[in-house]
Amino acid sequence: MTGRRYGSTAGRGMGDSEGGKPYGGRTLFDAAAEEQDQAPRVLTVTQVMYLAKKNLEAIHVTVEGEVSEYSDKPGYKAVYFTIKDEKSALPCLMWKSDFARYDVKFKQGMLVQITGNFSLYAAKGRMNFVARSIKLAGEGDLRMKVALLAQKLQKEGLMDPARKKPLPWFTNKVAVVTSPRGKAVHDVLRTLRRRSPYVQVYVVGVPVEGDIAPTAICNGLDVAENSDCDVILLVRGGGSYEDLMPFNDEKVARKVAACTKPVITGIGHEPDNSISDMVADLRCSTPTAAAEASAMDVKQLSRNLVQMQSRMGNALSSKIEFNKQRIAQISSRPLFKNPNYLLENSAMRLDMDAERLAKAIPNAIASNKQELEQNRATLASLGTRLLAQHSARLDSDAKALARALPSAISGSKQRLSGDTAEFKNIGSHLLDAAKASMAVNAARLNDLSPLSVLSRGYAITYDCDGHVLSSIKDVEKDDSISVRVDDGYIDCTVNEVAEEKISK
Amino acid sequence: MADDQQKLDESITFNQGLEELESIIKSLEGGQLELEDSLKKYERGVSLLRVLQAKISDAEQKVTVLLGELEPDSSDSIDETLS
Repeated sequence: MTGRRYGSTAGRGMGDSEGGKPYGGRTLFDAAAEEQDQAPRVLTVTQVMYLAKKNLEAIHVTVEGEVSEYSDKPGYKAVYFTIKDEKSALPCLMWKSDFARYDVKFKQGMLVQITGNFSLYAAKGRMNFVARSIKLAGEGDLRMKVALLAQKLQKEGLMDPARKKPLPWFTNKVAVVTSPRGKAVHDVLRTLRRRSPYVQVYVVGVPVEGDIAPTAICNGLDVAENSDCDVILLVRGGGSYEDLMPFNDEKVARKVAACTKPVITGIGHEPDNSISDMVADLRCSTPTAAAEASAMDVKQLSRNLVQMQSRMGNALSSKIEFNKQRIAQISSRPLFKNPNYLLENSAMRLDMDAERLAKAIPNAIASNKQELEQNRATLASLGTRLLAQHSARLDSDAKALARALPSAISGSKQRLSGDTAEFKNIGSHLLDAAKASMAVNAARLNDLSPLSVLSRGYAITYDCDGHVLSSIKDVEKDDSISVRVDDGYIDCTVNEVAEEKISK
Repeated sequence: MADDQQKLDESITFNQGLEELESIIKSLEGGQLELEDSLKKYERGVSLLRVLQAKISDAEQKVTVLLGELEPDSSDSIDETLS
């Protein structure tokens, strides 16, 4: 409102463009206006500075420029820097409390965009632009974004050395993820062919520039990961910072970090460092270096094989040497040197035993003798005692017997003589009857004997065999026969046999 | 031996061969083996070495294209294109 009120007069001093803006301090302005209205009026420095300050500080703009010099000293409340373009330079400051909110590291020549307003330090007459916010502009902006992403991934631990997979100690197959057209793929193939011709190479061709590159690279990494390769090479030839941006892509970086197979990067040239490089298992500066790192040089490999051969040989010969020594050691033992070694112990024991035995036998005999003597004495006294007992009993038995015997004998004698007389009596009577019957029987026997007939002239004829002849049929002419008569035998010969005719 | 080597040639990859060789050397150097086993391992190791040496000295680069179209270089030898 005040601006409008004093608009016509102000226009002369401060310019019409600022006419609509409020100037604030009315008194001073009024004074100045009055002076200008009248004769030219002289202001004090303070008044002028105040005037300028009021105008300048009202201007709020965003400005882009290149950082030319800067100072960020500890203990100061602000960072001081200058931005410039081809023609002009602008001294700036930014309160550290503001600056801390932005992750900006000043570098000579970096392009920044700052938003803020002017301020005038009246005491020194110095003008500054006070930046309230700052961001990197152009490539600077790009680098800022990359730096922020790098920071983020680092915080997540994707760049931890512990996360990095070790490369295989021998590589059979390598997958190369890169542009199928550029120099890089042929650098890799040539290097591998020269150093490691035994390596089989899978080429995974992907576009590495432009908006489609990040997705295509991820896809290529997928293909490589699913092949039977041992190592993945993610490479690209040199280019501008913008050219290498796909390798700073978050998707690509995460894919590289998550890959189950070791990833070696070789992106751009030596000083280039992308986020893919940082999260890779091994970062090489160029595609050729990556190829070299991916597989062992065939010459080195051959040397290793020779080394292995000699290691193996050494191991075996030291094994044999060791066994030799053991055998030597064993054979030098007394056991094998002295044939009596095994017997020595036994022989010694035998000697010792013999000695013990020699001492033991006489001792034993003596003690046995003593025992025997004792036993003998015991036995002798026992025997005498027993004998005395028995003879006493025997004596008394003999006496008892002597007393008993004569009466027993005389009794038996009497009974015996009685029996004898009885037997005699019975015996004599038995014989009387037998004698009488015998006399009768003898007389009768005599009467019956044929021999008694012979005395009366009868004879008995016997053949030569002594059989009694009772029929003429028993003899034939000229048989010798014998005829018994009472007082002897007459030997005869048969002259004739004639049958007697007996008339009946 | 000849048979043994034949078998190795066909069945074993370079990597497997190297790994086996390495383990043979380790066990030989460990010195825990019976002498007979040591000799056997040594023999096996020598034939492995022969096979491996032959493999790397005869090797020629093989290139397979899994994705994209590889622009051939004058010195390249491309075997086949899978996709």
